[in-house]
Amino acid sequence: MSSPNPHSKPDLDETINVTQAHARVASEFSAATREKHLAESGRESVPLWVITACGAVLLIAGGVLGNAGTLFSYDNTFRANYVRGTAPGSAVDGPQPKTALMAFSAKGSKIYSAKCNGCHGADGKGDGVNYPSLVGSTFVIEENQKLAMVILNGIQGPVSNGKTYGAGIMPAQGAGMTPEDLAGVMTYVRNNFGNSTGDVVSVEMAKSALDVSAAREKAGQSVTSEEILAKHKVILSGADISPEIMVNPATLAPVE
Amino acid sequence: MSFRTFILSLSASFGVAWLAIVIVPYFKMRSLEPIAVEEGDGTNAVYIPKRAGRIADGAEVYAANGCYQCHSQLVRPTYAGNDMFRPDMGGIAGDEERGDTRRETNAFDFQGEKFAQIGVSRLGPDLSNLGRRIEAIYAKGANPETWLYGHLYNPRWTPDRRESSCPSFRFLFKVTEIKGNPSEESLPFPVEAGMEIIPKSAARALVSYLLSLKKDQPVPTSLNFAPSAAAAPKAP
Amino acid sequence: MSSEVSNNFEQDAVLRASIDRSLRHPVMFFLTSGAAWLAVSIILGVISSAKVHSPGFLDGCGWLTYGRTQAAHLNALIYGWGFQAAFGVIVWMLSRLSRQECRASGIILTAGHLWNLGVSVGIFGILAGYGTGMQWMEFPSFCWPVLLLSYFAIVVWSLVQFKVRPEGHVYISQWYLMAAMIWFPWVFITANVLLHMMPGNPVMAAGINAWYKSSLIFLFFTPVALGTAFYLVPKVSGRPIYSYSLAQFGFWTLAVIMPWAGMQKLTGAPIPYFIPYLGAAATIMFFLPAFSAAVNILRTAIADPEVANNSPTLRFTMAGIIGLIVMAAAAVFLNIPGKTLEFVQFSMSGYGFEILSIYGFFSFVMFGAIYFIVPRVTRREWLSRRLIKWHFFPSVYGVAIIALIAIFGGIQQGIGQEEFEQSWSEVAKRAVPYAWAITIVWCFILFSNFFFFMHLTVMWLRLGRRSTHPTMLVSGHHGSPHGDDGDIDNCGPGTVSAH
Repeated sequence: MSSPNPHSKPDLDETINVTQAHARVASEFSAATREKHLAESGRESVPLWVITACGAVLLIAGGVLGNAGTLFSYDNTFRANYVRGTAPGSAVDGPQPKTALMAFSAKGSKIYSAKCNGCHGADGKGDGVNYPSLVGSTFVIEENQKLAMVILNGIQGPVSNGKTYGAGIMPAQGAGMTPEDLAGVMTYVRNNFGNSTGDVVSVEMAKSALDVSAAREKAGQSVTSEEILAKHKVILSGADISPEIMVNPATLAPVE
Repeated sequence: MSFRTFILSLSASFGVAWLAIVIVPYFKMRSLEPIAVEEGDGTNAVYIPKRAGRIADGAEVYAANGCYQCHSQLVRPTYAGNDMFRPDMGGIAGDEERGDTRRETNAFDFQGEKFAQIGVSRLGPDLSNLGRRIEAIYAKGANPETWLYGHLYNPRWTPDRRESSCPSFRFLFKVTEIKGNPSEESLPFPVEAGMEIIPKSAARALVSYLLSLKKDQPVPTSLNFAPSAAAAPKAP
Repeated sequence: MSSEVSNNFEQDAVLRASIDRSLRHPVMFFLTSGAAWLAVSIILGVISSAKVHSPGFLDGCGWLTYGRTQAAHLNALIYGWGFQAAFGVIVWMLSRLSRQECRASGIILTAGHLWNLGVSVGIFGILAGYGTGMQWMEFPSFCWPVLLLSYFAIVVWSLVQFKVRPEGHVYISQWYLMAAMIWFPWVFITANVLLHMMPGNPVMAAGINAWYKSSLIFLFFTPVALGTAFYLVPKVSGRPIYSYSLAQFGFWTLAVIMPWAGMQKLTGAPIPYFIPYLGAAATIMFFLPAFSAAVNILRTAIADPEVANNSPTLRFTMAGIIGLIVMAAAAVFLNIPGKTLEFVQFSMSGYGFEILSIYGFFSFVMFGAIYFIVPRVTRREWLSRRLIKWHFFPSVYGVAIIALIAIFGGIQQGIGQEEFEQSWSEVAKRAVPYAWAITIVWCFILFSNFFFFMHLTVMWLRLGRRSTHPTMLVSGHHGSPHGDDGDIDNCGPGTVSAH
């Protein structure tokens, strides 16, 4: 077989040398040449297990469609006759009950952030010069009527440790304070920052504090350390509340 | 099968579904009938929840920055998830004034937006009631805008959020020289002396939008699914 | 062998080769440009995934914030890679099946550049902060008409070729590809016109967006991949399609069922109550067309296991079909109300399913097609079997891991989300280990795609092997007088090999 002239390109139709033509097609269009023909003629029947698998899935899909209620009912964007379910495990709608200590403290911490930490600090330690520390203060951790009076009326002059801080004036914080607020902030201060009296000032006790405060001789003016020690070294009257009992954190009322 | 049969069958099979679940519901819901509400004093009002804030601008910033990739805005009914049992997703469970304000999202809840950002995933919490949560819990007693600017600037600032995967959006803020007095909006973060961090207008729009997210207002009877006979709290 | 039969066969081969040659520029452009976008998408995917577990990574810069990179990652994957691979394959395959040379190659190439321009501007727009916030439609709203116009300019020629095809049986691949070419614009125009131009109820708009995502997967990428697989497997193996009736069943169940799917992503949302559950049921029923097509194709391929093992085309296509089976199983598993649907609704399972369908199924079949088409269109064989293997193995293992991790991780996230007494920070922490795994695996896939892109670029520059023997995955065997790599022809066309 002679090798062809590399400059001539035999036209497929005119070629005499069929072998050369085959070879040219084979080499130039080898990729196209080695392709197989497409055929759809497969006549195998559908295997049974495929039908079974598809059938099982159809059953699942049918079940899912069952959830769809009335098909093509465009006016309902919620399930028909939907009533909100209750959380599994809780019998009560609304906030999860907490222990009285936690619930009152939580409420109190919000009041504290709003009214008290600007001066007494987020850690209750004050600054040693202008604002006294609440940590371990006898006005705070001893008989609770003392604390109530200071909060509701403010205090002038020296405080529980005898020192006078800053200008010696704490403004009254009682304006607009509900009994729940007062009970909360007192419980919070008495059980945080290192204080741990372990008891809860109940709402009833806070109400009696408001009464006591309104009935003071110098009602409307700040208290002084002398007045506190002389007249208010008592526990607030009113039913107390065990710190372990479960209450509704929003209303502070015991549950059950 | 001829080409014509093919085209007809294809159009029919697609067209029926296209009409049934795309065209018809879209056009029906374009003009939602407002729901009548009976006030306690017998007058008739219509339920149109109002949202205060720069909804449209803020929603654009929300969309462009991909907040919907990590946050959802859908409180699902109890047959579709436990969203309603979370204490602060559908509203506030123990709101001091209004009690339990939680409710499901309804079709009127996205007023002012063109596209409800239902959300892709919940890497972060649902935001339907973000405004309410910030005011009632995160920033109680403080300025909610300042809190939110702080969160956007550095989500990992407070100790309880050190592991948050929210990206920092400090590119929505700028550090500028203090001119005269510090601006009211300057953020309480450490910065060079004489400089302050203030939000750009995109951050302002976004915060305004986010604080408007309060979807726990009382709803008319037809949308009130609470089990107790006691009605939803009185409208403020 | 009679010379007449062999002449017919050769004329056929010459015709096929001339069709291939006429399409060289547009097809190579689509495939190479698509592969580049695939690399871009995977890089963006690595960055995004890293930000989930390490939010300080590259943060502070608006261009790279997670919300934008995640959107750009998916849009680059779909419009940059997915559609361009589909265009290359559609244009080539329908020309071949209509036995017509393409006379509009220049226009198709120009339209392809226009498509790329639209995608580039779109990705740039997303990263620059102009995204629309609608999933898979985040390109700024002026982009969609550009994309639509280039789409029509690309595919209309295939429709014309179909109309003037020679008489004869219409092959199953043609039905799948034509259907995809009709479904896509219908879906695309509906979604874009309703959401950008005719505002309505915002929640229903979100529903249509979810329907758009589902329709893109089930009514464009799936039929294109199935049509391709039904073409490649008989072509390479020489076997006929296992069961013609099963093929028809697969096509028509896809057509009738899948348009109803998509809105199960809005379970519990205030849209008409029945719609999400109808969508869930339809997605579950995806199993029917998927499984029947998969069985058909696999049975055809394994009829000749040696070819299936040696041919890169068949290996990738088979990997894709196995991906399809996993996708069908996932479609059932993830959409059961009360058991999984609400759990995974807002989790990474959705992302896992999307990557499984676009990469684990569609992309592998496209890779198979690319390994088949490129040698024909460039008349060069692939340069190195090792490069093909370096592409195949990390990709397959990588995508399998991503899909399984994301789907399983999504279930874990969902369980945490439903624990309503747990604080949110506890719930959020559950995602972190899965995010780490996904980042690492995307790095492996990026590595494999680097080899793919290099290999493809080399072929585009026509630096592949000149040979009559294809590059097989198993080293060449017994008795070829031309040696392992076949005939290396360095003397130009017409040179006869020495026997």
